[in-house]
Amino acid sequence: MPTNLASGAEYDTVGQKRWVWRGFALPGVVWLALLFLVPFYAIFAVAMGQLDPILQRATPEWNPFYWDPTVFAEAFADLFGGQLGVIALRTIGYVFLASAVCVLIGYPVAYFVSRKAGRWRWLWLMLILAPFWINYLMRMMSWVNLLSPDGQVNSLLLNLFDVTDPPSWLAGQHLVVIFGLIYGYIPFFILPLFAALDRIDNATLEASRDLGASNAQTFWRVTLPLSRNGVMGGLVIIMLPMFGDYYTPNLLSGSPRTRMLGNTIDQFFNQTTSQGAVGAALTIILMLFVSGLMVYYLRSINRATAEARR
Amino acid sequence: MAFHPRENWNPATHRRQVFTRRDFLQRAAILGIAIPALPGFLAACARRDAGETADLAIGTPQSPVQQPLFEDNPAIESGLSPETGPLLLYNWEDYMNAAIIPLAEAALGVEIRETTFLNEEQALARLSSGEVQFDVWFPTSQRIPVAVAAGLIQPINHDYLPNLGANVWPQLVDPYYDLGSRYSVPYVTYTSGVGYRIDLVDAADVEGKSNPWDIFWNPKYKGNIGVLDSFTDTIALVLLRNGVTDPFLATEAELIAAGDSLVEALDLVELQYSIDGSYSGIPEGRFGIHHAWSGDLVNSAYYWPDNVDLGTARYLWPAKSAGSTVRGPISSDTMAVLKGSERPVLAHMFLDFMLDEANALTNFEYVGYQPPQINLTPEYLIGEGWAADYLEPALVVPEDFELDTAWVQGPLDAPTEGLWSDQWTRFTSGG
Repeated sequence: MPTNLASGAEYDTVGQKRWVWRGFALPGVVWLALLFLVPFYAIFAVAMGQLDPILQRATPEWNPFYWDPTVFAEAFADLFGGQLGVIALRTIGYVFLASAVCVLIGYPVAYFVSRKAGRWRWLWLMLILAPFWINYLMRMMSWVNLLSPDGQVNSLLLNLFDVTDPPSWLAGQHLVVIFGLIYGYIPFFILPLFAALDRIDNATLEASRDLGASNAQTFWRVTLPLSRNGVMGGLVIIMLPMFGDYYTPNLLSGSPRTRMLGNTIDQFFNQTTSQGAVGAALTIILMLFVSGLMVYYLRSINRATAEARR
Repeated sequence: MAFHPRENWNPATHRRQVFTRRDFLQRAAILGIAIPALPGFLAACARRDAGETADLAIGTPQSPVQQPLFEDNPAIESGLSPETGPLLLYNWEDYMNAAIIPLAEAALGVEIRETTFLNEEQALARLSSGEVQFDVWFPTSQRIPVAVAAGLIQPINHDYLPNLGANVWPQLVDPYYDLGSRYSVPYVTYTSGVGYRIDLVDAADVEGKSNPWDIFWNPKYKGNIGVLDSFTDTIALVLLRNGVTDPFLATEAELIAAGDSLVEALDLVELQYSIDGSYSGIPEGRFGIHHAWSGDLVNSAYYWPDNVDLGTARYLWPAKSAGSTVRGPISSDTMAVLKGSERPVLAHMFLDFMLDEANALTNFEYVGYQPPQINLTPEYLIGEGWAADYLEPALVVPEDFELDTAWVQGPLDAPTEGLWSDQWTRFTSGG
């Protein structure tokens, strides 16, 4: 029987106090049920529902026995071979590119702050996070001003570099949208990675060097593998919202060539009357896709934990 | 009197027949076993349609309609005392001058609260769910037939609205979509056309053309052209440009051709879309040309930077442009009293307040959308400095609704909306 070291008293993990510990899960269960499962079921009910003959709106069908999979199947088919597939591929491309750049920029930053910044590390961390005290939309709006045809970026190009025909940054540039995603989400990658790097015991690194490894070898063979979970966690945190993002392309580009899946879902829900079920179906398919990434992350974490215990 | 269409439909009877065990197994088989073969199998599936649809009274200027009355939805009696507040308004975002609220509060002696919606789909969803309670709603005229059939709005008692007959254009006192203003009163009126800047665009490329809509395909302005991020408005633009007389009667082939035209514009002019391009994108220089609602162009004065000449803004409505042979959209938005209103007398009084000339003018000053008031003519609005003379084409006169070249927007049924949406998705997927 385990012992409570603080009080010296014993507690029973299988006995009558067990419900107390299980009780701690209650808020989480209620949270999940109310704010995830119920809305998820509602979206499913809309995707599998009917059309109101008067309002011509998609109406939810709550009884699974009456679910009609036609719209869901159509959306599925369109994603694998139709116009929606183009948007889905573009979304995946944007998210993976933006995530890769987040890793390339975020890792050295997190590494520096956690292991090299010394007593100034908290100041560094605060400075990195400072811009993010401002609302995401406001920050994106400020980029719209900076990147507009007569904005500060083009003024700089005109005055400093004598560029006579500056680019139309907001006219549908893939790089601008990807930049927006990186800018918007990178602190959420740095933060968990910082925590992971910060937890690495110096003694482990010293042991590596004592055994003859160079600094580079120590990094590749010890630091990087030990921070893998932090990288994975950071990636999950930024990739999930990126897949559903629609404000970034909306604000930083007005071109169809940079449209993401989130914009399309928004279109079906907010611009059409009768096509809400298609939007609901796309939402579910997108959720299933990102769930796949989540499962991969959880399996990696479990594997890493199991290896660490060995 | 007629029975309400909703009485003929309830979800339980609307469903296909009750499922048998065999049906259930068949469904399970479809979902569970056939999913890998879905793409090929489902390509042949027909687009989801409404199945049974209710008969809606949809009018046009050529064929006006009177909305039906229902026994379970009578108008309020005359001579009732106003209820106590607060009066609850449900309006589009930024679609009412904030100065109106205190004026109306003082006039009616009650508190007024305004809640806004971003789009009508959202508004309809909330209103039809019964989750929200408001007194006055601001629907587009296209939504009136649906709102009447769905029992969302109540008939209006004109005894409470002396300003309707006294101040409003006769054409909209007796509008084609709701003869006799049975369920709605006009709020503002507008057209859709071409907004542009003469310092960025050669006016000769827009004005005096037989098909002014062609400007959206002019490669000379590549990267500077935008259309409204509203698929009904934009697909209609393309259909009108392609010579379709009534976009709502467009065949599937004409719709596919419209989709082709939009995709062509992507390559030709890098066509963009936005909802704010006409009122803020043009002033900021993000666009030289943008598909615009006339009211947005008038309202754009508020967005003009100090370093750009405000007088460079122009608007063209193809239905009335010299030399034009194509049609141009025209429409109006309305005010209605919701069926579930707990303060219907007060709601009627508010409608009458908004139909007062001075109040309508105060509202116009902020929203830029023109109230259809008899005395608020383009000459008056320009002469008194309420609108700029160079934006005169953005102002509407009653006769505009009767032009052969004016195309009145109406509602789309579900299958047609699906087809329009498909073409928009072709465009928005990047071609």
